[in-house]
Amino acid sequence: MNASLLFLRKELRELRKNKFVLPVYLVLPPIAVILPVVFAVFSTQIVAIDQNDPAILAILRIVKNTPEFAHMGTDEAITRFFLRSLVSFYLIMPVGLSSISAAFSVVAEKQQRTLEPILATPITDLEFLIGKLLASLVPSIILTWAAAILAAVIVNWLTWGRYETALLPERFWFIGVFVLAPLMGTASVLAAIRLSAKMSDPQTANQFTGLVIVPVFMILIGVFGKVLTISMSAVAIACAVVLLLVLFLLRLNLKNFQREEILTRWK
Amino acid sequence: MLSRSFDGVPAVEALSFEIPEGSLFTLLGPNGAGKTTTVRLLLGLIAPDSGTARVAGYQLGQSNNGLRGVCGLLTETPGFYDRMTAWENLVFFSQLYRIPETIREPRLREQLRAMNLWERRNDLVGTFSKGMKQKLAIIRAVFHEPKVIFLDEPTAGLDPEASLMVREMISKLKGEGRTIVVCTHNLDEAQRLADIVGIINRRLLVCDTLTNLRSGAGITTPVEIELRAPLLDDQLTAMKLSFVKSIAGKDGKYVFEVENPAINTPHLVRALVDSEAQVYAVRPRTRDLETIYLECVNKGGAGK
Repeated sequence: MNASLLFLRKELRELRKNKFVLPVYLVLPPIAVILPVVFAVFSTQIVAIDQNDPAILAILRIVKNTPEFAHMGTDEAITRFFLRSLVSFYLIMPVGLSSISAAFSVVAEKQQRTLEPILATPITDLEFLIGKLLASLVPSIILTWAAAILAAVIVNWLTWGRYETALLPERFWFIGVFVLAPLMGTASVLAAIRLSAKMSDPQTANQFTGLVIVPVFMILIGVFGKVLTISMSAVAIACAVVLLLVLFLLRLNLKNFQREEILTRWK
Repeated sequence: MLSRSFDGVPAVEALSFEIPEGSLFTLLGPNGAGKTTTVRLLLGLIAPDSGTARVAGYQLGQSNNGLRGVCGLLTETPGFYDRMTAWENLVFFSQLYRIPETIREPRLREQLRAMNLWERRNDLVGTFSKGMKQKLAIIRAVFHEPKVIFLDEPTAGLDPEASLMVREMISKLKGEGRTIVVCTHNLDEAQRLADIVGIINRRLLVCDTLTNLRSGAGITTPVEIELRAPLLDDQLTAMKLSFVKSIAGKDGKYVFEVENPAINTPHLVRALVDSEAQVYAVRPRTRDLETIYLECVNKGGAGK
């Protein structure tokens, strides 16, 4: 088996037995399933709460001005708008989950003294980096996709009778979940691994990730979440920006993720 | 000659030694003397500032991953994944060494049995004592049958029975023709195991066989000489030979500090006889490793 995949399998095995980290992985997915279902089922009731509320008025205005929704009834258009807006939650999941795991990835190996035995094996620095990347990223991406697919199935099942069409997947949702979410996750993991290799204890790495990396990516998600409701060209630009960020962080890690640097920074 | 410094502070300087294939080299030195840095340099984990080395046929820096594939390492503190079983840990590391599955399982079984850990193979490593972890780490260092094995404090924290078991395993590995480098503070262990002893304190102060070190080859050793009568002044002057570093004593009992006593003691005795001194007894002092170590570290003091 490829050395990088060994790390993925090992981390999955450890994750199953880690009673501190596992609950974090189990909290977000149910929310990612329930939230779209609630908004799909109760969209019209939510809008009807207060027709004069400025926020509701803004939503109605966007829905009305979106050409894509022009041929639809108001209820369906509002429901689709809500579902599209919720795509940003699927960007939060891989960033939140994988960056926590990545923050521990190298520093935890240092702390439990497994780093030097690993570095003494014939694996390459690249295999180690990719292994750590996959180990942090794959579980969160699988959970994100599973939650999104399950939410889509339930939403379609519950709303089919009302609209006689499948609301999901639609192209913004699809690109958000299957392109932008993995890219955002990859970027946050690479940033967190870079940080983790520099840190001497997991607590500091975790605090730094929580205080710096996650907020920065949340700002990006806030921006891209809006973009996902505007136009396909804006979405394409967002994807290109994140891809460039991934490439930059990958290059930075490849340049600095070397045995010597990690070992000699051992504190 | 290998040298390496960190942030301008030399960790090791001008290291130069040769370990014949199949021999056991013990590297002795105080804390911070550069033992771990030396091992890391020889494994290609860190690069030297200057110099190079050839380990198991590999030139450092040319194929470090190939080099690591034929070397084993026992670190000073054995680290494992506490939430994984002993078996899972060993399988994970054996896969990193790319040991084929058909070979892996019987080999691990045999080694776990040899270390009395077979019954505990499915227990989480987090439940293991330090001694058990150390034994597991030794298995990890040797399960890929490396040509060169680096063992950093292999019996640290082990009870006498486990220490004996580890020493027997090291002897067995040596018997298989593997080259072994043991870093230790334990002089008794070094005396029991070593073919060659190196004493390091940033610089390599001494590197020779234990027999030569005990007889004082390369450094001065006291030789006690008893005479029938005290030496006269002209006789004492005649004894100021190039290999005699100092003379102390009175009433016919003298201690000569002699370089390479195995070679030079007969010359000294001949010089005494030629000066008409009546030699009654000659007793070269053989020194234990502790004496040699303390002399080297205190006199050599490269680390100071």
